[in-house]
Amino acid sequence: MFSLEGITNTVHEWLNNHFSPTLALLTEFVLVGVAAIALFALLGLGLVWMERKVAAVMQIRLGPNRVGPKGIFQTTADTLKLIMKEGLTPDGADKFLFNLAPYIVMIVAMLILAPIAFAKNFQIWDINIGVLYLSAVSSLSVIGVLMAGWASNNKYSLLGAMRSGAQIVSYELSAGLSVISIVVMTGSLSINDIILSQQNGWWIFKGHIPAFISFVIFIIAVTAETNRAPFDLAEAESELTAGFHTEYSGMKFALFFLAEYINIFIVCAIGATLFFGGWMPLHIGHWEGFNHVMDYIPSSIWFFGKTIGLIFLIMWFRWTFPRLRIDQLLNLEWKYLLPISMFNLILMTIVAIMGWHF
Amino acid sequence: MNASVIIFYIIAAFILGAGILAVTTRKIFRSAIWLLFSLIGIASLYFWMQVEFVAAVQIVVYVGGIVVLIIFSIFLTQKSGDEMPKPLKNRSIFSALAVLFGFAFTFNLIKQYGFKQIESTPFEVKVSDIGNQMLSTTEHGFVLPFEVVSILLLAAMIGCIVIAMKVKHNEQ
Amino acid sequence: MSEITVTHILFVSTALFFTGMYGLFTRRNMITMLMSVELILNSVNINFVAFNKYLYPGKLDGVFFTIFVITIAAAEAAVAIAIIINLYRSHHSIDVEDASELKY
Repeated sequence: MFSLEGITNTVHEWLNNHFSPTLALLTEFVLVGVAAIALFALLGLGLVWMERKVAAVMQIRLGPNRVGPKGIFQTTADTLKLIMKEGLTPDGADKFLFNLAPYIVMIVAMLILAPIAFAKNFQIWDINIGVLYLSAVSSLSVIGVLMAGWASNNKYSLLGAMRSGAQIVSYELSAGLSVISIVVMTGSLSINDIILSQQNGWWIFKGHIPAFISFVIFIIAVTAETNRAPFDLAEAESELTAGFHTEYSGMKFALFFLAEYINIFIVCAIGATLFFGGWMPLHIGHWEGFNHVMDYIPSSIWFFGKTIGLIFLIMWFRWTFPRLRIDQLLNLEWKYLLPISMFNLILMTIVAIMGWHF
Repeated sequence: MNASVIIFYIIAAFILGAGILAVTTRKIFRSAIWLLFSLIGIASLYFWMQVEFVAAVQIVVYVGGIVVLIIFSIFLTQKSGDEMPKPLKNRSIFSALAVLFGFAFTFNLIKQYGFKQIESTPFEVKVSDIGNQMLSTTEHGFVLPFEVVSILLLAAMIGCIVIAMKVKHNEQ
Repeated sequence: MSEITVTHILFVSTALFFTGMYGLFTRRNMITMLMSVELILNSVNINFVAFNKYLYPGKLDGVFFTIFVITIAAAEAAVAIAIIINLYRSHHSIDVEDASELKY
């Protein structure tokens, strides 16, 4: 049966049989790096195409349909165009920071990828504080945005960066609290343990209403954290031209654009891991027959299916809700989401202590 | 010379290099970015020492909190493209001398003391151990400092709001 | 030089401490002085963790001290930045030499 675990094991054995252990380890590092970059490129191309198609469906039009069947090569063509373009640096900009910012954003996105389990036993780094690591490293991505805004020496960029910074820092709190509510149920910070604890049902079903509330809060918070509509104040076209990446062009702009989609994928993968069991197939209690049928579907398909489902949800938001004003945005977080998620955390703790979950 | 030693030297050079750049560069935003790199280097030193929990706390609080706060205050009070004035020559020379002397003196003391290392017991930090000891009320529990720190944080929060609050003038 | 001992780590933290001191002596801008203070606090944290790991591996006290120091550093930075913003509002400068009168 097809499984990613088999492929990695074969590669690992082959390398260790043919080379010394140190060399084999180094080769594996290189392979993991190449695989991560390839995944990024594929995700970028795929998700941009998906976004345009979803937008087209929502607005009852066709979307990209010229390059390749159903327009699937449209984004490849766009990327080629962006690579060909000249990368401009504005005159008054701090050149070092201006050029560093897109790479910081990309490196942070790559680091977050490490503890995510893509399939059964298919994980780059099974760190014992997995969830804490995720929320720690994802707080770094705001630095790249702030850097880009300041180094551009442009008032629109600066305003966009400040809005984005305020937004990310405040919404991180409720995202963190809803992640913690799942940690309370599992009793472990490791991603692998969290997935294994959903053997007999995903947390969104097992955790009753509190788990559902924390899922809703999580989705709202991560939509804001990735600067997506309706929270895309940082790059509100009608007010700030393009926000923090106004001055960027060519490949550096492409990196920011790519990072936005990578971040959407990552937060959706985290959401799928915490609330929908990651690669764990749909199991219902003790229905042995049903569970065995579900086990025949490979775990990687479960993981990517759930993640793409959540991504579709976030893309759906974009065409459903109007953009918020900055004061409404901060009011929503500090006056509604944060108190609700704190109260929800207490509720979740009570459920976990009394053992009321299934 | 194994891999772990080489990694330590790289991390140490990174921390010190970024730290020195943070206190000497004349562009204030670059200074904040170098400070950020230095703090990330310290977090990776914690990873190297296998205290992942402290490393993650370091990144969450310092990088995600304090540096972002510092950058915000730079945004609010400074102009992009400005440079800070050069420090007075006398002052920088004498500070450098004082600092070098202090460093030599302190490190000499450390070197002569000769710490005795205990290799027998393995050092591992489990998150559950930290949690249990943090809230235990026995002899080695830390519940009292924990509560005191909570009150300190509350006081700091209220203090910040009071200090930064705009005073409304009665204009009649 | 084949093994990293506690002295090596203390070298790093001492050097970082005095780097912070140099910054505190030469800088006159409040924000950069705050950054130097953060470097000093971090060097202390490294010491706590290193002592805990190499000298008392059976205990966790150093880790706890580090966590408390980080917490207090966060509170300190928040208060300092509130003061800086207020200073900027009243003096239009955050240079410590410009803030020479106590009562405004």
